[in-house]
Amino acid sequence: MIKTLIDLFYRFLNILLVLMLAGMALMVFVNVVMRYAANSGIDLSEEMSRYFFVWITFVGAIVAHREHLHLGVETLVTHFGRKGRLVLMGISNAIVLLCSGIFFWGTWVQLPINASMVAPVSGLSMGWVYGIGMFTGGGIFLITLERLVRLALGRITDEEIAAFAGENLTLEQMAERT
Amino acid sequence: EFNARNIRVSNGINADHPVGNGIQAMQKCLDEKSGGKLKLTAFWGGALGGDLQATQALRSGVQEAVVTSSSPLVGIVPALGVFDLPFLFASADEAYKVMDGEFGDMLNKKLDDAGLVNLAYWENGFRNLSNSKRPVTKWEDLEGMKVRVMQNNVFLDTFKNFGANATPMAFGEVFSALETKAIDAQENPYVTIDTSKFYEVQAYVSETKHAYTPFLFLFSKAIFNTYTADEQKALRDCAAVGRDVERSVIADLNKTSLEKIQAAGVKFNTLSPEEHKRILEKSQVVYEKHKADIGPDVVDSVQKILADLRK
Amino acid sequence: MTLLVFVGSLLGAMAVGVPVAFSLMFCGVVLMWFMGMFNSQIIAQNMIAGADTFTLLAIPFFILAGELMNSGGLSRRIIDFAIACVGHIRGGLGIVAIVAALIMSSISGSAAADTAALAAILIPMMAKAGYNVPRSGGLIAAGGIIAPVIPPSMAFIVFGVAANVSITKLFMAGIFPGFLMGVSLIITWLIVARKDNVQPLPKASAKERVTATGRAAWALGMPVIILGGIKAGVVTPTEAAVVAAAYALFVGLFIYRELKVSDLMHVFLSAAKTTAVIMFLVCAALVSSWLITAANIPAEITGYIEPLIDNPKILMFAIMILVLVVGTALDLTPTILILTPVLMPIIKQAGIDPVYFGVLFIMNNSIGLITPPVGVVLNVVSGVARIPLGRVTAGVWPFLLAETIVLFLLVLFPDLVLVPASWLH
Ligand code: NA
Ligand code: NA
Repeated sequence: MIKTLIDLFYRFLNILLVLMLAGMALMVFVNVVMRYAANSGIDLSEEMSRYFFVWITFVGAIVAHREHLHLGVETLVTHFGRKGRLVLMGISNAIVLLCSGIFFWGTWVQLPINASMVAPVSGLSMGWVYGIGMFTGGGIFLITLERLVRLALGRITDEEIAAFAGENLTLEQMAERT
Repeated sequence: EFNARNIRVSNGINADHPVGNGIQAMQKCLDEKSGGKLKLTAFWGGALGGDLQATQALRSGVQEAVVTSSSPLVGIVPALGVFDLPFLFASADEAYKVMDGEFGDMLNKKLDDAGLVNLAYWENGFRNLSNSKRPVTKWEDLEGMKVRVMQNNVFLDTFKNFGANATPMAFGEVFSALETKAIDAQENPYVTIDTSKFYEVQAYVSETKHAYTPFLFLFSKAIFNTYTADEQKALRDCAAVGRDVERSVIADLNKTSLEKIQAAGVKFNTLSPEEHKRILEKSQVVYEKHKADIGPDVVDSVQKILADLRK
Repeated sequence: MTLLVFVGSLLGAMAVGVPVAFSLMFCGVVLMWFMGMFNSQIIAQNMIAGADTFTLLAIPFFILAGELMNSGGLSRRIIDFAIACVGHIRGGLGIVAIVAALIMSSISGSAAADTAALAAILIPMMAKAGYNVPRSGGLIAAGGIIAPVIPPSMAFIVFGVAANVSITKLFMAGIFPGFLMGVSLIITWLIVARKDNVQPLPKASAKERVTATGRAAWALGMPVIILGGIKAGVVTPTEAAVVAAAYALFVGLFIYRELKVSDLMHVFLSAAKTTAVIMFLVCAALVSSWLITAANIPAEITGYIEPLIDNPKILMFAIMILVLVVGTALDLTPTILILTPVLMPIIKQAGIDPVYFGVLFIMNNSIGLITPPVGVVLNVVSGVARIPLGRVTAGVWPFLLAETIVLFLLVLFPDLVLVPASWLH
């Protein structure tokens, strides 16, 4: 039941990413065409495409974290056996937990300052744009915490350990590295 | 009573801008007053982030100071939009009197409410127009011209109102865009037209003086409030000393920059008083449109002060 | 001392397997603590400011264009075109690989994607013709890494934004050095493959050539749009990227008809995720970069290397060696993001042209993609062509050497970069 809900949530995030990327491309493209065809442009689209970009980055960062897509340097990790890898995984996840926690907290503290500023063209409160950091910091924090708990309970799968050591990369993952 | 303080001052512009001279003069003054305890460390070229990011850092007490143009801050203090209004000031002298007087104090109060202490109004200079098409002697000359403007509603409306195609564009791409004629025109103070070498790829420069956006020397209120009264006073006094030096260097540099621009073969012209009047009249719709956003009291107040000055 | 804290915390975190983006945040956190100015808002503010940059929008659009090109069948036609032109020459398929790599690199910004497409089609053909397979794989890997040097290039965009250098200028300056890399590979190939006992392909008839050119024409139109558009000033790099994506979509859907509407969801999602990974890294790098600047670390380094500042060539030489060493272990984007804020102040102080430096820096980083132990493009060839990694590594070294020689030739003769750049700009 909970697993279905979580899968549904990520499905929703995926659809959101696709829609935002398509929307962003459309806005920039229409502006280029209008600049040449109609000798004018839509000022709103420069600003909104930028904000879509911010959201894609930070929503996508959660999805990427869940799928172990964030690039790492696994040179040292690969030299360890299963036990050593589990220890390094614990340290590594603790560091990610710390960073995402600070990111979440910093965005929270900063929220009033961003909320009291509006975007120059659209008049949108910047709380909506920059507040996304709470979603990302919080999301990555929870994913990592769950991993750490399973690590402590000995419920980490071999697949996860392989992903941590950078084994079995897909072509897409390799493409991200170049 | 003075404590050792390291004050990080963020700048979007480069160290060779007159603000650099102003900061040196301010440091000299601070050395004398504080016995070398108050130290300014300037960061140039946006090394600590853009003006807006730095200003937000001030508001959250992360960083001490920034020298920024008023325009990017309109989203935080809408009243600052008054400086974007076209053809507001007729001369630098007028601008100094307004900003260093009670009108400037009124805006400082609004900045203070947003967590920002404005130590002094420094200078960016009048913005003028350069282009590759024709001399701009009247507003009709701007019709159909592709002008790069800052991402700012008032600027966009000002140029659209003259029938120009106002295009926002990142500053770093402007030179290439002018060179390849992707855009025809740009508007900036003479010093910028000079230091960014725009004159190399432009044929005409017109002294439109269409906007006077000051630099603000902003301090983080959260940090300022932890300073002693002596330190606060020294900072305010010395910021004024730096301001005077910076303004005079700009005035000199404007002359040399314009000479250099003309020497490069760029044709120079000014607006006649009659045309200046016509362009101001034509621009009144922009005043009307943005008055509510800026604050009617703010716009009325500055116009009344200016009317008194001009009597 | 601050320098030591920065390097130590960054390397330490990366060594225990923390992803690079979080390692950069972590070293920012450690630096804050060390300087006694811990504030969570420094992290939050810089992370977000990193993404709020219009110029960087070119990244997702170029990624999208590249993915649409591959799924839309453009790569296949480019390779067919190259075969029809030079396939019959002795050593021809190797030359085909490089000619195709050069054309593809002027369409796509990703070394891995180009390499994968080339390896999948050409390595089986080269094996069948009798070429040494690991060497063929090495050649294709070395050809694939031209992609970041010839525009469009994600690497130039990231560097341009991080170093505050015009992306248009970087793009124009990368063309000739990228071409030189290709030439050096062809020469090396002709030398090392001369003893392979191969059956050259039959010479294509004039009619076949016309057909192949006609089929590839739409694909060949892409570099014209991207480079021509930017060069003529019709579009900015960001706009060129979105126009390229629209063009690839149009050609894939309606001209070649290999792209189905049902594929689009996958292509867009994959591009969005890749964008997020790169951008999250850019954002995290801004955190450490802000603290590096606030801590005045570049000044500290400049102090150590004072004598080199007066001798730009030796300085460039030393930096290039450093980047080569870093590149053996670190991927392209992280290297750019970690080293740019540290190196740029030094480059400026030494009076080295930032565009010239950018081209060499990116070329050097690209070479890092084929240096062991961590050379992702070698992994791509190994994975796609099913050759063990060790054998690809053995096959790549002559080409690796050739490209490194080109790099140091450019250090010795900066005009090789600057003069063609001034013609093109
Ligand atoms: Na490329
Ligand atoms: Na490597």
